[in-house]
Amino acid sequence: MDKLLATLKNRVDQAEIYRRRARTIPIEFRSGKLESIKSNETEGIALRVIANGRLGFSTTTDMDDPSALSKAAIAAAVFGEEAGFSFSADRPTPLTGVYDKEIEDVSEQALVDLGEKVIRKLRDADSQVDIGLSLVKTVETVAIRNTSGLDVEEERTHIGLSAEVGKTSEGDIFVLFDEQEVRAMSDLDPDRLVSRIVDFLRHGKKIVSTPSKELPIVFTPNGTIALLLPLLVGFNGQSVYMGTSPLKGRVGERAFDPRFCLADDGTIPRGPRSSAFDDEGTTSSRTPLVSQGTIEGFTYDLWTAALAKAAPTGNGYKGGLLGGGGFRTPPSIGISNVLVSAGDVDSNEIIASIEEGLLVESVLGLGQGNLASGEFSNNVAVAFKIEDGKIVGRVKNTMIAGNSYNLLKNNLIVLGNNPMWALGAVNTPAIAVGGVSVIGQ
Amino acid sequence: MEQRIKQAIAGSDADYTEIRIEQEARSQVLFRKDKLENIEGSNEQGGIVRALKDGGWGIAAFNDISDLPGKVKEAARMARLVAASIDTPVALADVDPVQQVVTADLKRDFRTVPLEEKKKLTEEYNRILLDYDKRIVSTNARYTDSFRTVTFANSEGTFIVQEIPDITLLLVAVASDGSQNIQQGFESLGEAAGYGYVLNREQETRDAAKRAIDLLSAKPVSGGKYTVILDPSLAGVFIHEAFGHFCEADFLFKNEQLKKVMKLGSRFGNDDLNVVDEGFIRGLRGNVPFDDEGTPRAKTYLIKDGILSSLLHSRETAKKMGAVPTGNARAISYEYEPIVRMTNTYIEAGKQTMQQMLSEVDHGLYAVRAYGGQTMFEQFTFSAAYAYEIEHGEQGEMQRDVVLTGNVFETLRSIDGIGVDLTMYGGSGGCGKGGQFPLPVTDGAPHIRIRNVTVGGK
Repeated sequence: MDKLLATLKNRVDQAEIYRRRARTIPIEFRSGKLESIKSNETEGIALRVIANGRLGFSTTTDMDDPSALSKAAIAAAVFGEEAGFSFSADRPTPLTGVYDKEIEDVSEQALVDLGEKVIRKLRDADSQVDIGLSLVKTVETVAIRNTSGLDVEEERTHIGLSAEVGKTSEGDIFVLFDEQEVRAMSDLDPDRLVSRIVDFLRHGKKIVSTPSKELPIVFTPNGTIALLLPLLVGFNGQSVYMGTSPLKGRVGERAFDPRFCLADDGTIPRGPRSSAFDDEGTTSSRTPLVSQGTIEGFTYDLWTAALAKAAPTGNGYKGGLLGGGGFRTPPSIGISNVLVSAGDVDSNEIIASIEEGLLVESVLGLGQGNLASGEFSNNVAVAFKIEDGKIVGRVKNTMIAGNSYNLLKNNLIVLGNNPMWALGAVNTPAIAVGGVSVIGQ
Repeated sequence: MEQRIKQAIAGSDADYTEIRIEQEARSQVLFRKDKLENIEGSNEQGGIVRALKDGGWGIAAFNDISDLPGKVKEAARMARLVAASIDTPVALADVDPVQQVVTADLKRDFRTVPLEEKKKLTEEYNRILLDYDKRIVSTNARYTDSFRTVTFANSEGTFIVQEIPDITLLLVAVASDGSQNIQQGFESLGEAAGYGYVLNREQETRDAAKRAIDLLSAKPVSGGKYTVILDPSLAGVFIHEAFGHFCEADFLFKNEQLKKVMKLGSRFGNDDLNVVDEGFIRGLRGNVPFDDEGTPRAKTYLIKDGILSSLLHSRETAKKMGAVPTGNARAISYEYEPIVRMTNTYIEAGKQTMQQMLSEVDHGLYAVRAYGGQTMFEQFTFSAAYAYEIEHGEQGEMQRDVVLTGNVFETLRSIDGIGVDLTMYGGSGGCGKGGQFPLPVTDGAPHIRIRNVTVGGK
């Protein structure tokens, strides 16, 4: 990297080298049986250059001959956009909780044993279920150097545990999914994953119908994603700058219920997406998005921050909104850890307070509605009918539709007191909102 | 390279070993609004070894291809770990060994087109989108091309080199009337073709911008049950998403209850319903002359005359279910092992004209183009880019926020009209499954009419 940077110094205005080395071990179980173990060792370099004020990008996996990489990036820069920004001159300090020796050291056999243990517990609860399970261990090193003097490297560990449990009966297939994405072995909580699935299986034995009308909905932490996804897009600084976010020009406005607070924070200890710096070397930070219902700000990478005359917030990620771009894509604005403030009511109490409504754990067709406008319209995947404060059974083939911005401003009933990580990125309690349009069978 | 691959396989102590090495050259031009967000030419190389030992799979994927024997050993080590904890060993159905080179035959190879020309073209389309109307607030104009050379060899003597070209164009216009009403119109194109495919798309570009503007004044659809006519693009997504995934045998082969649901010979639709997965149709994105296990392409009838007649198989699922491999074991890249995937999937043309089908609908919706789709077992949901209401046999006003949902088995049986106008769509995205996205596929259908479809809305 040093040599490449040195040769580039004389040829371009600015250069930034990003290198990612990753070793991933996915272990897959299907129908309760071990299916495969894989070792995935990948390494790639991405190069951004600014030459004659213009930006060019290229990536390669050929670590021995970076000359082709320089040539390609410089060639692209000839026709590139005028770069209104400089590469990061930050000096990020190390962040604790991004690396765990126990994850690095855990053997494939130990992970196989763990997977089998989880499967046994699920099967003990219900012997009729079909269980798919995967455990993925990742150890990665990301290094970034640039001509502004940035020189950072971070070793990160992750463990992902996910289970899909299906129960098939005549004319019906009921599938439950849950996942945990953690940064330290000790944060993995397989028993919680098992108990959530087992509870839902129990509630789902009976299928009930729901009338087509406006009803209150209690979104579980996993279920809140249907409601929050439009906001993840709407608070993206690029949507705001481009005018495709309805939040444009509304900083300081009370656009949400005063109990609603939202923040993006890449620094949370052992947060699933925490890191000392983002994919362009900007120091990770906490960015308040909504405080007591008032819009506070948006997330930015270097490029859009310069355009919007805002400060970068450490949200320049490869792969965009939800990240995961490896070394390949150029950085754009993505979320780090998104936090929804908790309320003070227990989930069971929330359910007990609903006369008639739905409890929604997951939906199909996430992101298919008009996200920009805040509209969601989804078929429920795992949802239950609440009557007189009690869960009376599962609902199927039922559509829910609403506008997230309107619901979180005018129809927020209550926020739960027990936040959980959903989507491996969003820390949120259960959220109950009223007046959601429900179309039943 | 050929010698190194063959030697590494010869040195394996596994029962079956395969190596796939891939080289890719790709470029991308991406405009968003008036900014060129990315311009890029990149190269990538990597490989994967899959080993079967005592009935267990071990896999090793990597970028550094200098130590193939080491990677073979690593895969075999993983395979032994798996073999130690399974009670049903994996076996593979027979496929004849093949030695073949499949070259891409492109009219104008996009690798010879300067990046500058690709930029100018994309910029021109982006300009058309931006200039269409002052209410266009943002755009996304993306050109991509990829040329992959994939070498596959296994311990049964197969050695195949395939060139796989792919070119796409995505054109999105986002319109806003200044309030919370933000709408988009798009055109999504993709083929296994040369550079000529993306030229002369000005009309499609204007149409995309026009749809975004038109949608600003479209009414949100009222939720409820409708008779729906799907256009070929949306019907293609429906058959792929809602039904095609169900036919992927790796999804069922270990689940006894699901196997009963998907029993060959069961009636799935009316006599005129035929659904096909076809591994090679000249120029289409879903083409796989040989799949990533070296199995040659096939034309597979999933539904023939309304009856479920075949599933899609890999060598493993075919062996397990007593079927013949159908050439559907595909991986998106060297980082992944092959899983059962679709190729070019379509509903065959029927006998009715669009006009006939329309005239018989008293109250319904004409839903056009897919914005997206997802299925969870028999429940599907997919959203139309836009729709028109149908009143007394006539196409009426434009509607938006149209999300269709239902039970796939009931819905297939409720298809009561199949058009004559089969059209295939490659699109610029792809299919996702098991963490592998996007896989180039093509979907297609004629116009179809379905009774009693649930549509979400207020």
